[in-house]
Amino acid sequence: MIEIKNVSFRHENADEGSIHDISLTIPDGQCVLLCGESGSGKTTVTRLINGLIPHYYEGEIQGEVIANGLNVTSSELYETAKIVGSVFQNPRSQFFCVDTTSELAFGCENMGMPEAEILSRIDRVTEEMNISPLMGRNIFELSGGEKQKIACGSVSALQPEIMVLDEPTSNLDLNAIEELKETVLKWKASGKTIVIAEHRLYWLREICDRVICTQNGRIAFDMTMTDFAALTEEERAAYGLRPLFNEKGVRPVGNFSGTKTMTLNNFNFSYDKDEALNIPKLEIPIGSIVAVTGNNGAGKSTFSRCLCGLEKKFKGTVTMNGETLKSKQLLKKCYMVMQDVNHQLFCETVEEEVQLGMNDENAGDVQKILAELDLDGFAERHPMSLSGGQKQRTAIASAMLADKEILLFDEPTSGLDFRHMEQTAELLSSLKSKKTVFVVTHDPELISRCCTHILRIENGRATEFYS
Amino acid sequence: MKNENKLKGKDLINIGIYAAIYCVIMTCIAMLGYIPIMMPLLAVFCPLVGGIPMMLFYTKTKKFGMITIMSVIIGIYLWVTGMGIWPAIFGVVFGFLADLVAKSGGFQSAAKTVLSHGVLCVMLFGNFLPLYIDREGYFASRQEFGQEYIDTLGNIMQPWTAPVIIIASFVFGVLGAFLGKALLKKHFVKAGIV
Amino acid sequence: MGRSILQASVTDRGLVLDPRTKLFMLLNMAIFVLGSAGGERVQALTPLFCAMPAVLLFSARKWKTAITFVILFILSYSMYTIFGPMTTGALHYILLGCSGILARFLPSIMMGGYLVSTTTVSEFTAAMLKMKLSEKIIIPLSVMFRFFPTVFDEAASINAAMRMRGIHLGGRNAGGILEYRMVPLMTCCVKIGEELSAAALTRGLGGEVRRTNICNIGFKVQDIIFIMISLVPYVLWILDIVGI
Repeated sequence: MIEIKNVSFRHENADEGSIHDISLTIPDGQCVLLCGESGSGKTTVTRLINGLIPHYYEGEIQGEVIANGLNVTSSELYETAKIVGSVFQNPRSQFFCVDTTSELAFGCENMGMPEAEILSRIDRVTEEMNISPLMGRNIFELSGGEKQKIACGSVSALQPEIMVLDEPTSNLDLNAIEELKETVLKWKASGKTIVIAEHRLYWLREICDRVICTQNGRIAFDMTMTDFAALTEEERAAYGLRPLFNEKGVRPVGNFSGTKTMTLNNFNFSYDKDEALNIPKLEIPIGSIVAVTGNNGAGKSTFSRCLCGLEKKFKGTVTMNGETLKSKQLLKKCYMVMQDVNHQLFCETVEEEVQLGMNDENAGDVQKILAELDLDGFAERHPMSLSGGQKQRTAIASAMLADKEILLFDEPTSGLDFRHMEQTAELLSSLKSKKTVFVVTHDPELISRCCTHILRIENGRATEFYS
Repeated sequence: MKNENKLKGKDLINIGIYAAIYCVIMTCIAMLGYIPIMMPLLAVFCPLVGGIPMMLFYTKTKKFGMITIMSVIIGIYLWVTGMGIWPAIFGVVFGFLADLVAKSGGFQSAAKTVLSHGVLCVMLFGNFLPLYIDREGYFASRQEFGQEYIDTLGNIMQPWTAPVIIIASFVFGVLGAFLGKALLKKHFVKAGIV
Repeated sequence: MGRSILQASVTDRGLVLDPRTKLFMLLNMAIFVLGSAGGERVQALTPLFCAMPAVLLFSARKWKTAITFVILFILSYSMYTIFGPMTTGALHYILLGCSGILARFLPSIMMGGYLVSTTTVSEFTAAMLKMKLSEKIIIPLSVMFRFFPTVFDEAASINAAMRMRGIHLGGRNAGGILEYRMVPLMTCCVKIGEELSAAALTRGLGGEVRRTNICNIGFKVQDIIFIMISLVPYVLWILDIVGI
């Protein structure tokens, strides 16, 4: 049983994620979905349960959290670790070891368990989760979904009675989500208490019994899944929640009327001897918004890198407006807004940032573009201090001023709530007909809101392209 | 809390992370050192650029021991990548001294932090040590190369350059700390990661 | 080479040595090749020491590294003998400096390369545990080795971003190149580091009990052979000191 008793918390140097006087009791074996907008406090609740608050993320705290009789708020993290297991958002950053077997053993090793015990636990976990093909591998070579499986396995090996998952699907493709769902169902069947904070709701319909929504650091509602499923999508959207039911067959928006096209020629690329991409020819309407979909490892990121001219050995070309662009020219014409926008913000203020690499003829347009992208009030701010969406817009502004013709977005909505996802969709729609936009995404809700075309890549080949 | 000054898991992981950033940056700079003329200049570049991650690390340092461990594991890194055992030994000594300096400022004082980084950078001299110790023995074993070779190499690495390198490491360590602090103020504070 | 630091794959690795054996041989390199200790008889063995990393790299099937090493070493060694007499002045000095320093550091660096490219982080950690090192050293060291690939990944992404913005040496924004690179690199690494810490701490890192380790390391026949070989210079050294 988890008891959260009158807990208030404020982060040391941020207001976001603060919670006010939350009380909650979760009985043994229950599976709870925590939802709500970003910054509404759901991640804070998960961190209260696994003890990261107040032991890792410091701040002012009142009240206490008791998990299966252990006072999490006053116990050390390694005590809590025996009772509460945690899975996080980013598969890349949550493993400690480099090979999979050691990673599964990691938690048990920390507990100082004898070797034989650890090995038998690893065997059990690999069998339960069907991960024996992943054993003994370098984790850096695994896909996001596989990494997330290893993360779950590593927690499983500790056999905690409570599982806390904080936005575990943010970086996963649809197949990987299905696999995660199976794992969580197994946990549920074995009687574990499970708390999942999530934006994507559809995969949890059969898993969770109870839904708690947070808003501005308080509980907005607390109901059973049956009641929650009975709400209309509009009611859910009013709480800033994504749909609970997945629309079947994603359809792009149809109102695109451009006639000019550009041609991608010879998009072939291999890493050493492994062919990663093989698209001989593809016509893309200029000014369209193309969703690039496909499973992890299908060749989407190779496609992006080639299109942006980042692969030096890439020999393909793009023909547009009568010009044939090779890798080097593509580097000047294309711009990728990366999944982690922090990689591409270099300067001290937003204004400097967008002027860096600017085409000098556009000097007069700086204010105009900033205003268009709702950044006019932020010209003097440090780019890194902005919110995720503002950072994305800053990156777009710099691409506009550098006269980029093709914009590429890598997973722009991973980990975003409903409202922010809609904002991104609007932003992308506003680029329609001005720039040709490619969006690499797994997010069906984003595609159905703004994309005019869908390009599906499988095994390095363009299997479908339709509007 | 039982003992505020004891190093916890969080501190140990932080050391590892900053050491990784530091070592990667150092390795990239050290590539310049393969051009032997550049080698003495490493005593300038390494402390200067290294000051940036180090100043960020110092903001996370609130307990005695963190700086010592940091320099020890940087020393071990240099050892396993083939720079000899001296960087590790120097790491223990100068890391400890740097730690003492920072502690005397309560891990808060800006002046002591800068000084501490200067002291820490002297450990880099460990890398150069093989070029100085047992010069006679070294050159004796290379007699077959001829006297001219020995004279030339001796000219490049004169004994008097040793103190110069030590002093340079210290001075540029101090300057690197100022550079790091400036960037800290300019970027990292605003970006909210300090 | 930075990417491959302690990221060895466990398949197809040829002859496997205990990390402690490797560390011992690396120590020998530091003492006898870099440090020129041990007197004349040991120094006469120097070419043998220099050949050692090549043998080991071949035994571990690191063909490319091994061959690069051999070529570089022969080049630096022959630089003086072939080009030395042909050149004069500054070029002469540079050539001599290169060959001298390279010949001195290269074997040791290659031995290090052998160690880090044939060992996994777990094996290294297990070895340190067996050497009774403090957890206060072991934990940061294993985090560091785990984090190297991440730093390189981040640096590569930032590099790509810089190229798309036209920031490169010789470009018009070259002045800020250090700042542009360092600032996002540190920001991103620190953020990932925080997530890594959180994940590790919720799995009980930093507890009071001593950690165990499932990684199976131990001295085997090949270890004993290499340790025996590595002991030879010490025997010679002692003989030298006692004056035999």
